[in-house]
Amino acid sequence: MSLMRERLATIDSVSFWYAGSERPALRNVTLRVHRGDFILITGPSGCGKSTLCRLLNGLIPHFFRGRLEGEVVVMGYDVRETPTHVLARHVGMVFQNPENQLFLSSVEKEIVFGLENLGLPRGEIRRRLEEVIELFDLSEIRDRPPYELSGGQQQRVAIAAVVAMGPEILVLDEPTAHLDPASSKEVIDLVLKLNRELGTTVILVEHRLELVAPHASRVVVMSGGAIAIEGPPREVLPSPAAKGAGVNLPKVVRLYSSLRSRGLALPLVPLTPEELADAVRLARVGVARGSRS
Amino acid sequence: MACYRVTVLRGFEFRRKDTPVHRLDPRAKAVYVACATAVTLMFATPVPPLIVLLTSVALVAVARVLREWGSTMRGVAFLSAFVFAVNYLMAPEAKLNYAVSMTLRLVALTSVFSVFFLTTSPEDFALALLKLGVPYEYTLVFTMALRFVPTLARDLRTIIDAQRSRGLELERGGLLQRVKRFLPILIPLIVYEIKRSYMIAEALEARAFGAVETRTFFYELRMRSSDWAACALSLAALGVVVACYLTGTLPSWLLWEVPG
Amino acid sequence: MAAAVEVEDLYFYYTMGEYVLRGVTFTVELGESVAIMGSNGAGKTTLVKHLNGLLKPVRGVVRVLGMDTREHSVAELARHVGVVFQNPDHQLFAETVEEEVRFALENFGFPEDEIEERVEWALAEFGLERYRKASPFSLSEGEKKRLAIASVVVYEPDVLVLDEPTVGQDAIQRERIAEMLRGFMKRGRTVIVVSHDVEFVAELFDRVIVMSRGRVVADGSARSVLTDLAVLSEARLELPQVAECARRLGDLGVPRDLVRLEELEEHLLRVVGV
Repeated sequence: MSLMRERLATIDSVSFWYAGSERPALRNVTLRVHRGDFILITGPSGCGKSTLCRLLNGLIPHFFRGRLEGEVVVMGYDVRETPTHVLARHVGMVFQNPENQLFLSSVEKEIVFGLENLGLPRGEIRRRLEEVIELFDLSEIRDRPPYELSGGQQQRVAIAAVVAMGPEILVLDEPTAHLDPASSKEVIDLVLKLNRELGTTVILVEHRLELVAPHASRVVVMSGGAIAIEGPPREVLPSPAAKGAGVNLPKVVRLYSSLRSRGLALPLVPLTPEELADAVRLARVGVARGSRS
Repeated sequence: MACYRVTVLRGFEFRRKDTPVHRLDPRAKAVYVACATAVTLMFATPVPPLIVLLTSVALVAVARVLREWGSTMRGVAFLSAFVFAVNYLMAPEAKLNYAVSMTLRLVALTSVFSVFFLTTSPEDFALALLKLGVPYEYTLVFTMALRFVPTLARDLRTIIDAQRSRGLELERGGLLQRVKRFLPILIPLIVYEIKRSYMIAEALEARAFGAVETRTFFYELRMRSSDWAACALSLAALGVVVACYLTGTLPSWLLWEVPG
Repeated sequence: MAAAVEVEDLYFYYTMGEYVLRGVTFTVELGESVAIMGSNGAGKTTLVKHLNGLLKPVRGVVRVLGMDTREHSVAELARHVGVVFQNPDHQLFAETVEEEVRFALENFGFPEDEIEERVEWALAEFGLERYRKASPFSLSEGEKKRLAIASVVVYEPDVLVLDEPTVGQDAIQRERIAEMLRGFMKRGRTVIVVSHDVEFVAELFDRVIVMSRGRVVADGSARSVLTDLAVLSEARLELPQVAECARRLGDLGVPRDLVRLEELEEHLLRVVGV
């Protein structure tokens, strides 16, 4: 199936040591990104997820110096040879702390900033600005300064500012880390919308798997700089590798595994409470056939 | 120990409003400030600075920033008393006139500059600097610094709260002790903000900062007829005053000195 | 015996007229453990700052172990109410981990030999002995969090308050924090945790207070509060996954007020008939 879709980025057998560090932050990591993917990357602190993200727009090795082994090709560019500002047109990156991504005095200016940097003509900037304001529902706050906005609104603006630049790939490194549940959900829903409606390829690093796992096309679990396991969520989440890596498994998945160990095999791995309820009903009726989904 | 905003500075903080003064190009306002300053400093008598002060008050009223302006003027009152006293003592002759004039100069200049900063947004100020040839990176630094001031203030408060919660006493103790006690506040603040600056740098990179030589500037300051008119007025007023000064045709009431 | 914390009709604003807390009232007895929940902006952190006197009420009273906070300094109150704020980076300053842990003890005037004893104990308790002479800035995120908590627990305040302990923490760290809290609760400590993390609170706390826009909208057992859709919706919180599952299986005899994983598990086994 993935052979049919365009390959946008390849990380091939990559190892990376931050300058001055003996321990590798990434150990022989291989990841293929295809158009339309929604890849969820998760794992304990220090597992290398942030490092992996930063390979995609060249922050590694250009901003964060160190020793890089292996190949990283993004949108046809060899990341080693290509400066970040070229890659930034194709790979938009959103970081954890919204505060540190909004450095100007109004929402509008933030959105325009990246476009100005790209040297786009004024008319084009204006067009994209209005498009993005419409898409992200920012018209009411377009003139407000960032520090007056809530965390959720700030993150929405940060994403908008990056999307305005028209990247094919959107990388989000724990975008909900500082947000409360309601804002987190809004941000995730927004990202999902971008993936589904605009076809943006999404790479999302997240701890709050309950919100994201049901929608991910692929889950990548990292541990100690390497990929512990990778695959569809229903395969990856209940696996011993995921558990061993210390991933924050959604409760319904933990329930699935726990019930299984006690002799109750639900017919599918539930990713949401709704799926769990359905699975329980099926199990009850005895339709469980132990089939993999 | 709460962090109160120093009231004197309030008169220099921009307030977003829509008034004719706010709408003026910062360069036109700068011309006003330059002319007003020139007139104020040309004379050692009380009437000219008083007139300049009145023009600035008129602008403050039109710009509806009377309250903030008032804060600063109240703050400057203290300094004025000091200036008055010093000048009175130092004046070689005509002490009272000299002291009053110098004090009025201070007041007038404070007022004029206050008008500028109260009605000019930092972004417009940065754009003006840009038009004057300051490289973009510097104006960006200026804009970003201003943007992060409230953020830093908040971080400072948070750190003070966290350390006070561990028993750090900031109110008591001698001077040396108090200074030492600020280390647990300064160090986390400095480290935190340095880390923050790295994160901001990453975000800047991610928005293609420095991508092209000729960056587009979406927002631009453009002098409109009202701006040119304001410039013309200021320069004309200055011109008239200078001309009269040079030809000795200034009215006597302008040169009135305080007796005694 | 005075209650650990008594909050009576507390009103507070930062800028005149914009109330952040509107008539908050609740009591926490010594030995109790409570979670205060709500989304960002509900006033939780503002409330926490009243517990050690960083903020004083505009109206109403806050009493800590019988002491009216308006009549005592922060240092005096902090001696009894230890608050660990969300971000360890806002407090780390010392050259060594050991000094960091000592800080509060020195501030509160503990005698030197006691300080040494307590520091030994705290480092061991929180698994930080090998970092004793290391710089706090060289620790990992999880270790920094442990250090932050250790540096408060070391002086054994009567009431321990943790502000959003799980924000930014991964699963392993969360579990460690949960374990640690379980330990405290078992030893009869008074623990107040402020959090918007419903899953974390559901597994640990029996009593939950929910705040929304400066008011207390619920105060009761976790079971009843965290399954109350109206309350959760008002406070912009999510239903815990366990409760959501239980709700959907109500017709099969699964009780609606379930919040703990093990309980749901038992019910499911029963329901399916294994």
